[in-house]
Amino acid sequence: MLKRLVERDIYDLLGRIADSYRLRVPGLLDDGTRTLLPWDGQQISLFGEPPQRKPTAYFFPQTDPLLKIDPRGQATPAAVAEKPFALFGLDSIDLAALAFTDRFFSNPPPDDHYLRRRNGALLIGLTGYAGPSRGFLPLVKGNCDLELIACGEYWLARAGCKSADHWLAHYPPGDQEQLAVLQRESAQWNHRAAVDVQQAMELLRQDMVPDSFWEEIASRCILCSGCNLACPTCTCFCVQDRQTATGTVRSRVWDSCQLDAFMREASGHNPLGTEALRTRRRIYHKLVADPERWGEPGCVLCGRCDRACPTGIGMFAVAKEIASRFAISSPD
Amino acid sequence: MPQPLNDSTSIYVPQPCTLLEVSDLTPQEKLFRLCLDSGGELGQQPGQFVQVSIPGLTEAPISVANSPTRRGYFELGVRKAGTLTGAMHQLQPGDTLGIRGPFGRPFQLAALVDKEVLLIAGGCGLAPLRSLIQYCQDRPGDFKSVHILYGARSPQDLLFKEDLENWQSSETFSCRYIVDKSPGSSCYDGETGLITRLIGALEIDSKNGCAVVVGPPPMYRPVIAELRRLGLTGKRQIMLSLERQMRCGIGKCGHCTIEHLYCCTDGPIFWLEEIEHLRGAL
Repeated sequence: MLKRLVERDIYDLLGRIADSYRLRVPGLLDDGTRTLLPWDGQQISLFGEPPQRKPTAYFFPQTDPLLKIDPRGQATPAAVAEKPFALFGLDSIDLAALAFTDRFFSNPPPDDHYLRRRNGALLIGLTGYAGPSRGFLPLVKGNCDLELIACGEYWLARAGCKSADHWLAHYPPGDQEQLAVLQRESAQWNHRAAVDVQQAMELLRQDMVPDSFWEEIASRCILCSGCNLACPTCTCFCVQDRQTATGTVRSRVWDSCQLDAFMREASGHNPLGTEALRTRRRIYHKLVADPERWGEPGCVLCGRCDRACPTGIGMFAVAKEIASRFAISSPD
Repeated sequence: MPQPLNDSTSIYVPQPCTLLEVSDLTPQEKLFRLCLDSGGELGQQPGQFVQVSIPGLTEAPISVANSPTRRGYFELGVRKAGTLTGAMHQLQPGDTLGIRGPFGRPFQLAALVDKEVLLIAGGCGLAPLRSLIQYCQDRPGDFKSVHILYGARSPQDLLFKEDLENWQSSETFSCRYIVDKSPGSSCYDGETGLITRLIGALEIDSKNGCAVVVGPPPMYRPVIAELRRLGLTGKRQIMLSLERQMRCGIGKCGHCTIEHLYCCTDGPIFWLEEIEHLRGAL
């Protein structure tokens, strides 16, 4: 089902969605950046830079109460809001990150706490000419319930699954030829960092990156953990208990593999006992361990860690250094 | 899209259990005997662990120290090392705890059947290995022979002293233990030195041998080298239990990863060849 919408139709569509969901839409902040905001009919920022806040945080928040324990020791799971989220404005990269965390938390034994929030949520992609300066964002290959495709003066809309068809039922048909043009453009679209990251992945897999490189990169790390906290596929957490007047609230809280205590055991043994080992782990896990485990890298090329890192050792920067320093040129 | 959930329970909610007995193993280690308040069995297999929960102090992973063949209770050997284990050491019979689990890949029991089995523990590693030793004790016909080797730092660090005497006098096992150092004031008259000394003294049919090793991380490499000198050079001949920080026990928190493996779900029991090539595993 392909439909044609104009901009006021988008507000109509979102208004209907907001009746059943906690709808979040892209809004423009005073500093010029965009973020997803609760929607109450306000103006939506339909074009621009991707929001820095990771979309996976809606289903795996930074502090996430898991359960309550009453003074008698009886534990009950923490309640999850009845109304599910609807997230509007996700590009193909953020949708890939959500698909990654969906698979991670669904892997047996499934993480019921994540799934309670995620099940029933509505993911709405925003693609086509909706990028910075109305640049092109590739179309989505699945991973979302609805997709709005910016085509200049109008929008194409399609449902990602049968159950979402009804949202678009009363709009006029869209132009299939226009969709085909955009699909061809998507197939030719390349991420600017993809080559470096792919090359770094191969060099790491072949063990071509010496320990001295990680020592050098780690010496620039100030342990702010911003890379992990910004990354939409970072799912590591620690557990904290907070005492309240009515008992104990146990929460999981985002953790960072860049920190010394991340793997330190009660015995004092620490498999990641140096900054170099931890920095290597951060990159290696995304580019080698995740593909081995899940069939695809944990880096979805969103660039958030590079934007967050104050010392320039995010994924793109490190991959570029690896590719430029250790790649063996192919013989002519 | 994730799959729908069928019920309202949560994998993060501990089930209540009650402390039946507490006994001192050493000045730093105690043995806790517990039962589930539900009246059911824990259902563990040798080598598995539970997450022990105390409100206000979160959770800690503790190996189960008794065999499932000993029914009606489960036991945890716990060294006082942090706030949660420190609080556990203050508990009295009748007190309650929370438990999640059992979790993890257990010892590969089928691989030990009809084998010359070497059970090698260092320090606190005897607690999880005890579950397998008891299992072997209760199924003596399953194995060709069972050799227990145990090393501790000093005589006062030896765990399960009564069990050690029992195993030494048992016809099911050969059992030797050794301490790194024995202070002159000690009345200990047993062997001193590293556990590798005990391995080198063994005579076994190496082609039919299988070793299970549980100990502190620095123990693994020298013990593996000694086992190889003994002739255990094939696949599925050396099984290890790895120690890692585990916050969840179910492969979600990420603290126990070894490259692409999750120690809490892919382990803690591994065949040597599964992890030997992975950086940081040993």
